[in-house]
Amino acid sequence: MSPLKKVAVIDTGAGNLFSLFACLERIEVEAELVTSAEQLDDTIYQTLLIPGQGRFGSVMENLNQSGLSEAIKSWYLKGEKIIGICVGLQIFFESSEEDEGIAGLSLLKGQVTKLNSPKQPMVGWCSLQSSSSNLNDKSVYFVNSYAVKSSVNATSKVSYGEDFVASIISKGLTAFQFHPEKSGKQGEEILRRCLR
Amino acid sequence: MLTLKSRLNDRLKSRVIVCLDVANGRVVKGVNFKGLTDMGDPVELALNYQEQGADEIVFLDIKATLENRKNALDTVTQVAKNLSIPFTVGGGLNSYEDVKMFLGAGADKVALNSAAVNNPELINQISDGFGSQCLVVAVDVNKVGAEYQVYVNGGHSKTNLKAFDWFNEIETRGAGEILLTAMHKDGTGTGFDNELLAQATANASIQIIASGGASNAQHFVDTFKAGSDAALAAGMFHRAEITVSQVKNELMKNNIEVRIC
Repeated sequence: MSPLKKVAVIDTGAGNLFSLFACLERIEVEAELVTSAEQLDDTIYQTLLIPGQGRFGSVMENLNQSGLSEAIKSWYLKGEKIIGICVGLQIFFESSEEDEGIAGLSLLKGQVTKLNSPKQPMVGWCSLQSSSSNLNDKSVYFVNSYAVKSSVNATSKVSYGEDFVASIISKGLTAFQFHPEKSGKQGEEILRRCLR
Repeated sequence: MLTLKSRLNDRLKSRVIVCLDVANGRVVKGVNFKGLTDMGDPVELALNYQEQGADEIVFLDIKATLENRKNALDTVTQVAKNLSIPFTVGGGLNSYEDVKMFLGAGADKVALNSAAVNNPELINQISDGFGSQCLVVAVDVNKVGAEYQVYVNGGHSKTNLKAFDWFNEIETRGAGEILLTAMHKDGTGTGFDNELLAQATANASIQIIASGGASNAQHFVDTFKAGSDAALAAGMFHRAEITVSQVKNELMKNNIEVRIC
């Protein structure tokens, strides 16, 4: 097994990253917060991690302002490794009903729409449905009111009121609508596996 | 009316939540909010419950004062660093700044109680500032005659608020969940007040966490069948009468979906 690589956690300026860093520490991954495009040196970092706190609009605005959105795009187009969590999955699509009129990174086709769930916000545990044994039937923790309902890049889905995309893979990008950093040992295992 | 089965299928996993009532850095338990007994170290207990399969830990600083706030923040950070499941903190949070401080210390959610009653606008401010998902409003309800009345200050002071009016207002103002404690059941071990909870969950479009009165696995089965989204207990777990995994096994036997870990 290759050693775990150094991770650049992207500063989206939109939330508390305590849980994420605590989780990375528990799974013994070296990670640093990166606040500007200049810091994104691929001789230092092997993986970008886009954290799952904050709303679509403020995350996109902050990333546009810091120049990190362009940096993420070129990192993605080069096929390098990126992990996205929650809103960090959503921004790869074109737009979101959460903040109409603000464009996403638009690297993947589709819109983020309001989740038609029995209770809002969705806060809690669901089992993944996936053809991958690494994901199928794993119980993971969701915190969201918006989601992508279907995508050609989906690797798992869940149902809460309606079906939606729980994870995607595209080129070097692996992204989760759920929060692996809050999903117990199974979440830690999912994150550890993609950081290998 | 939907059948129980289809209602359960359109639900998240029924959450079993362990509450650590904390005073001066120790986990304690009282009966009807009075007479505190030492139950152990918060970090140790939180991790133990995570291992048992708890879906969430709630940490209530029931003797929160300004003087011991720094200690409380340190304890929150220690617990949060070690836990890989969601962690809610409440007790003595009175302002937007307090909330910011405890979220910064590592809490995933905060629970407001008296502060929300005294200043309902705070619910809007926190929901707007940090998102509804991180705000739980805790409500202590006591049955007075046929009426459910809201109490504050750790159950010491009666307010003029009727419980169901307050639940509606909490939801409208943007809270993510309601932690509903039936004071008249708390510490009695006779089960949750499912009549109250069934009515509360049927009316709400946010999740309701049942609290107060649990002492065995059947009490959890009953409250989830009544419609509770999550159920919380403290003493029965701290006294090691039963483990979280035993409760979950009983829930599974009753076809209630729980997280297997």
